Amino acid sequence: MDHINAIYQAVLEGDAAAAKEGVQAALKQNLPAKQIMQEGLIAAMGEVGRLYEEGELFVPEMLIAARAMQAGLEPLKPLLAESGMKSTGLIVIGTIKGDLHDIGKNLVGMMLEGAGFEVIDLGTDVTPEKFIKSVRERKPQIVAMSALLTTTMANMGNTIKALKEAGLRDQVKVMIGGAPVTQEYANQIGADGFSPDASSAARLAKTLVEA
Amino acid sequence: MTETKKMTSRERVLATIAHREPDALPVDMGATPSSGISAIAYYNLKKYLGMPGPTRVYDIVQQVAQPDDAALDHFGIDVVDIGRTFNDRPEDWYDFKLPQGMTVQFPAWFHPRQLDDNGWDVLDKEGTRIAYMPYGASFFDQTCFPYLDGYPADFKELPYWMGKVHWSGLVHSPWDHASEPDFWQQLRQRAIALRQSTDRALVVVAGCNLFEWGTFLRRMDNFLMDLASDQTSVERLLDALMEQHLQTLEKVCEAVGDVADILRFGDDLGTDQGPFMAPKTYQKLFKPRHTQLTEYVHKHSQMKTFLHSCGSIYKLMPDLIEAGYDVINPVQITSKNMEPEKLKQEFGKDITFWGGGADTRHILNRATPEQVKDHVRRNIEILSPGGGFVFNTVHNILGDVPPQNIVAMFEAIDEYR
Repeated sequence: MDHINAIYQAVLEGDAAAAKEGVQAALKQNLPAKQIMQEGLIAAMGEVGRLYEEGELFVPEMLIAARAMQAGLEPLKPLLAESGMKSTGLIVIGTIKGDLHDIGKNLVGMMLEGAGFEVIDLGTDVTPEKFIKSVRERKPQIVAMSALLTTTMANMGNTIKALKEAGLRDQVKVMIGGAPVTQEYANQIGADGFSPDASSAARLAKTLVEA
Repeated sequence: MTETKKMTSRERVLATIAHREPDALPVDMGATPSSGISAIAYYNLKKYLGMPGPTRVYDIVQQVAQPDDAALDHFGIDVVDIGRTFNDRPEDWYDFKLPQGMTVQFPAWFHPRQLDDNGWDVLDKEGTRIAYMPYGASFFDQTCFPYLDGYPADFKELPYWMGKVHWSGLVHSPWDHASEPDFWQQLRQRAIALRQSTDRALVVVAGCNLFEWGTFLRRMDNFLMDLASDQTSVERLLDALMEQHLQTLEKVCEAVGDVADILRFGDDLGTDQGPFMAPKTYQKLFKPRHTQLTEYVHKHSQMKTFLHSCGSIYKLMPDLIEAGYDVINPVQITSKNMEPEKLKQEFGKDITFWGGGADTRHILNRATPEQVKDHVRRNIEILSPGGGFVFNTVHNILGDVPPQNIVAMFEAIDEYR
């Protein structure tokens, strides 16, 4: 029984129960947690992201795949910590002040986890001060901000300004996303990157930590 | 434009929907809750132009203004919402100072609570918190998701639970009067009076959303997952919603079907990058039901069917046309595959574009007045040949749009009428 492939397929098809069972079966067979994570879960989410970006899969399929991935991750998490497997990086994510939209942000968070990142989700309506506090306390590699409204986007620029004033700007990469956000706006406010959807956000995050 | 005889506004709108080039560019601002102007932008515009009179916030959720008759005349608007005939007495409104500083008017029935965090919320009659606006925001977010934890065994209480969703609990006119015993007679009488007092085209806003009601009841992420993993429950819900919607349509057609020109349906189907769902999912779950709704209206009234659907819906356009929609709005031209040239070329003969006139994401709010004019001229020249186009901004004009840019937009529009 190729457990890794079963896990991969379960995630691709969005079958949370099968993903979890597959991981448990693989662990029983003494397959290394790291291998299960990388070749089962992360590889599957990479394929899900690719299919989404190519227009083959849509948000519903991406969401159930991410849900299946999280179900598979559950029995793995304690073992990953034990095995000393380092996460791809630590990311703090939030929807900016004045904005309560979170589905997109949540999907980005799930795709980032699917790419092996550890994600701290600050929620919505996040002030620049709250982002700063989290950067000071948790020392992430990346701060990721989401905005859905033209009228509250300015708080992205305000957060970057606040990071500069706090002397923290050099310590993190900043990436932004959300429907009204563009590469042009990212350039304008001095963000390190922009992505138009959750899948490319995960790819962007990987290049930012490798830089 | 090519007609030799000048048309009335109503004739102009109906001609373009029939894909005949009208005598002049038909224009909407304010005839639906998603083709108008926010209270803040409207207040600033009136101040800039020295126009007197209050700013009335008729759509509480989105904080959208109801343009008054003077504004409609000033800007030459060709179409209006029947709902504006309600709340027509001074005592139906009261003054309210917005956090942004300007004083506007809210409907007398609306009483938000100010909170310690300087946000506002709204409780319904039973004390359920149904809406919240954080400090610094400019509209109310939904807070109660009635089917968050799962679907009920039956849908006998569906209307009750729909009332807990702020889109219903804080609904705009005429529906804020829907519980009055003589509502339907009132609706008919007021519509007829409006018909007799204006030569503008008339819209009745009827909602009847399907996908969106699924997202309102289950919360968007859960309902999207249901589309992929629990279609049985989705179909049960949709059937229950259809029962409600067909009852509504029966009464709407009876009351105003021979008076109103357009019935507006709503169902946001697009994200910025593509449809929320695969076309085959739309075809299976929603298209047959949307078809039933449009067929009912076409069979039982004179009204044209208008679908409001935000986002990148290019991949769904052939199906939406087949489903019987005569008009599509807001034509979100900044979304993927929604370039106006592409839409006009592929679908221009089969559906009327009500929107797409001005990008509200980067241009109307951030560009110079001259850039706005160039942009608007370009979109008009792409979308208007052969009819099938009513000028409207891409969705509501929000508070970050400077009044000079709105004026510039209308100066460009005037070159085409």
